[in-house]
Amino acid sequence: MKCAHLLASALAFPLLLSVAQASTTQDAQNAHQDTQSPVLKAQTPDKPPGTIPEHKPAPVSGRDNGPVSAKTPVPGPTQSPDQQPTAIAPHTPAPVAEMHGEDALIARGHYLAIAADCAACHTNPYGGKAYAGGYGIASPLGTIYSTNITPSKSDGIGTYTLKQFTAALRDGIRGDGAHLYPAMPYTSYTHLSDVDVRALYEYFMHGVQPVNHKPPVTHLPFPFGIRASMAFWNLLYLDHSPLKAPANASDEVRRGQYLTIALAHCDTCHTPRGQLMAEKSSRPFAGASLASWYAPNITNGPAGIADWSDNDLFQYLKTGDVPGRSQAAGPMAEAVEHSFQYLSDTDLHDIVSYVRTLEALPDQGQTLARDSFGKPSDREAALRGLPMQDHGEWIYQSECAACHRPDGKGSPDHYYPQLFHNSVTGANTPTNLIAAILLGVDRTVDGKRVYMPGFGPGSFVQTLSDHDVADVANYVLRQFGNTSASVTPADVALVRSGGPKPLIARLGPFIAPAMGVGGVAVVLIAALLLLRRRKRSI
Amino acid sequence: MSDSTSLSDLSADVVIVGSGVVGGMIADQMVQAGRSVIVLEAGMRRPRGEFVEKWRDMSFFNRRHSDFQGLYPQSPKAPAPLYFPPNNYVGLSGPDGSAYQQGYLRIVGGTTWHWAASCWRHLPEDFQMKSLFGVGRDWPISYDDLEPYYQRAEEEMGVSGPHDPHLQSPDRRSKPYPRDMIPFGYGDRRVSEILNPHGFNVVPIPQGRSIQPYGDRPGCCGNNNCQPICPIGAMYNGIQHIERAEARGARIIAEAVVYSADTDENNNITAVHWYDSQHNSHRVTGKAFVFACNGIETPRLLLLAANSRNPNGLANSSDQVGRNMMDHSGIHATFLASEPLWFGRGPAQSSCIVGARNGDFRARYSANKMILNNISRVAPATEQALALGLSGQALDDEIRRRAACGVDLSISLEPLPDPANRLTISKTRKDPMGLGCPDIHYDVGDYVRNGTQAAVDQIHQISALLGGQELEINTKFNANNHIMGGAIMGKDPKDSVTNGECRAHDHANLWLPGGATMPSASVVNTTLSMAALGLRAADSIKRFFA
Repeated sequence: MKCAHLLASALAFPLLLSVAQASTTQDAQNAHQDTQSPVLKAQTPDKPPGTIPEHKPAPVSGRDNGPVSAKTPVPGPTQSPDQQPTAIAPHTPAPVAEMHGEDALIARGHYLAIAADCAACHTNPYGGKAYAGGYGIASPLGTIYSTNITPSKSDGIGTYTLKQFTAALRDGIRGDGAHLYPAMPYTSYTHLSDVDVRALYEYFMHGVQPVNHKPPVTHLPFPFGIRASMAFWNLLYLDHSPLKAPANASDEVRRGQYLTIALAHCDTCHTPRGQLMAEKSSRPFAGASLASWYAPNITNGPAGIADWSDNDLFQYLKTGDVPGRSQAAGPMAEAVEHSFQYLSDTDLHDIVSYVRTLEALPDQGQTLARDSFGKPSDREAALRGLPMQDHGEWIYQSECAACHRPDGKGSPDHYYPQLFHNSVTGANTPTNLIAAILLGVDRTVDGKRVYMPGFGPGSFVQTLSDHDVADVANYVLRQFGNTSASVTPADVALVRSGGPKPLIARLGPFIAPAMGVGGVAVVLIAALLLLRRRKRSI
Repeated sequence: MSDSTSLSDLSADVVIVGSGVVGGMIADQMVQAGRSVIVLEAGMRRPRGEFVEKWRDMSFFNRRHSDFQGLYPQSPKAPAPLYFPPNNYVGLSGPDGSAYQQGYLRIVGGTTWHWAASCWRHLPEDFQMKSLFGVGRDWPISYDDLEPYYQRAEEEMGVSGPHDPHLQSPDRRSKPYPRDMIPFGYGDRRVSEILNPHGFNVVPIPQGRSIQPYGDRPGCCGNNNCQPICPIGAMYNGIQHIERAEARGARIIAEAVVYSADTDENNNITAVHWYDSQHNSHRVTGKAFVFACNGIETPRLLLLAANSRNPNGLANSSDQVGRNMMDHSGIHATFLASEPLWFGRGPAQSSCIVGARNGDFRARYSANKMILNNISRVAPATEQALALGLSGQALDDEIRRRAACGVDLSISLEPLPDPANRLTISKTRKDPMGLGCPDIHYDVGDYVRNGTQAAVDQIHQISALLGGQELEINTKFNANNHIMGGAIMGKDPKDSVTNGECRAHDHANLWLPGGATMPSASVVNTTLSMAALGLRAADSIKRFFA
């Protein structure tokens, strides 16, 4: 499972078809709020950012790893690409300082493609060629396949003009005029600067090997297959307006915002979504369900990352591992593995600077930091040789303690993390604990693979049942983590089945009959919302 | 068995008796080839964690003396041999009967639950013992016939072995190992430096284990208890192929004790009969049959299943079933090196001395290999230090010194196939199902006894080179659970049980892959050869269906 936000987004569009039934005032309210940029709120004078942005010296020109984005993250021509300081992923062959013109632009596009993590979806991890698509994402509505974005003229985007390429990134319109599903995060990429879009274009046209391979075509069942419905969704949720920087934002924060939203599209996972599956502008970065996983609150309150130092955040993005706080798993492990680890230190510091400006948003039931719970266990010596009463403890000892150790301290080198003071066991939402047990952890950073086998079907260690997983999770929560959280076998079954289903998936069977009644109302409501949005953007 | 109602009148293209590494691998091959597969296993099916916990709960005495059997729950109706205390399931006799106390498991997944994951190939010479050295028997196939299957078996099991040809034994390979060797530890390096100039040739043991994650298999977490149980599946276990085959559609039936077979007018097998745990009898019909029950249980089943067409047992027109029983009857040596070598970190096995694995001397006496055991020396060091009457800091220091400097050599010797070393069915002892228990007569023979003397001389030299003190050589032969010979393969149906494909001479649709078919023992652990023979048999079965 990767980039689960794709799944969530892809489920969003057809809901419009039945909006007359599903829509409530709440939906309209969500839509209304979504017309505001998340950071706009932080800009309001009476609502300053939760944490004072860190001010760092302005970048020195000519440094090795310059920032990726234009200093003015507003779409439009900025500096000439030739002069643009460009950071390069480690595996890019030649230093960009020695490049000129087209080469520098392509190298920059390569770096941007990594920052935007295009490969996460467009390169099939199961033996696919780079950017040749074909990665099938299982969704409750059917499998959605990523497309071939190599410059192949027959199967890829080799015939795209810059204008067509731009429309795909900014408007979700593909070359033949059809709408893309928002599995493609064009609501984020729409904020890319012109020069960066062009750099990406040059990279995909000239820096990527064309692959003549036609990936499977996505065929979602009726009514989900009607791509034209995306036009309505776009009217509501595709916001072309420039990113609004927090008040008095430093250059670092502005660049960080551009990196965080326009490129890395962090919000697509970490911001919860409303009934129409658009991001809730009232709760930016406040944590959201992500298929089997949960993308936690990363705002600056106790529910988020208030107790993390800037260096902790930097280290997390760079390595996916901050002992005593958190280890990246699931989709975040992929983001670190495929994208963040290759970003320049400067860019990562800029992202941290921006994240530091995120207004603290409370999380129900999470009043203490997630990584502040629990302590080591000293029970093993007393238990050894006696029948163990607690099935969860028995599973912990038999299946977990070989690596995490009976006391839960993990290994001294932190390859096996400690289980107390660990954000996964301290979260009031134990989703990630269940997901880590079932699906494991797999993260390769700097050539070193960190791997925990899952305990789902086909496990190399042992296949555990829903009851087993619930029992061991409850033992871990009780012994090492948040004692107010608990897990039922039904919770495990839900994670096993891919997490909570979006409303649309649950409504799926009823949508078609409802369409006849709802069709007119859909158009009316969409038009109304559109009017309200336009008013505000004046 | 939760679905006992559906157990009557089962049928499958391929019926496999035994769910160990060989049965599991063949099951996986055959379901991939589109065949329906039923695997019948006499023992129970239990989760890994249960074994782990039982091992940790075991007494110091059992752990210290390597009770690798006791942690595996036994089906009450299908016992495996146990020794703490002895259950006398296998009756032993002969000059070296005590050397044949085998520790094989009857459980879904088989004995590789508690192996050490050594994945050796036989040497090319091992296939031609008679032609080259004038002793033992030649195989009906050559090393080169089996080589592609060795390679496939290594890939199936994810073997880590040396890419450097100088460290390979043998070095005749068509492809590199799937993964490079598990790096030497400090002790392995140090012993190599000291011994290799004297011709001892220390090489890494090829291992079905990863120290880095390998696909979905985790890397070794260094618990150092590969034997008797890898807690996390970093070491290959036969259960992995059983589960793979099951996911692909094979049906695994536990606590199913096969005891007889039906044969038709062409002496093809048409069905096997088995008892469930309640002693109810069932029948499974099939087109091809595989008995891969272990080197003792396969010949035992062939003999138990005697019928009117096969009065001496299935596949036994040659009277060779149950004969030629072999194992790497071994000896042990321990000493304290003059410097810390720090054995006992990481996997339980690491390097091995193979300088005496091959040579013209094999015409006269047995070759050997000497495993530098990498099992933690803390337990024996503690026993020894306590015996010195020490206490407090002095005791701690002495345990540390002995654990750091301790060297434990496990020496394997090569018996020759001798028809007099024979498994028969006991007339007096029955298992709980009422089936005759196995009796085994065993004599290691002068070939091994002479080889032992050579090995003892080499051990003295090794100990001296390492500044050894307190050298103890235990020449009482011990079993190594590498059971071979009881369904020996050969070209001539008159003096062998199967052909080179492990296919019974007497039954066109019966295969007996595994250690029982091996005509020469070599000095190396048998599992990889058994798996390679199993894969070769699977190809033979595929051709049978084609």
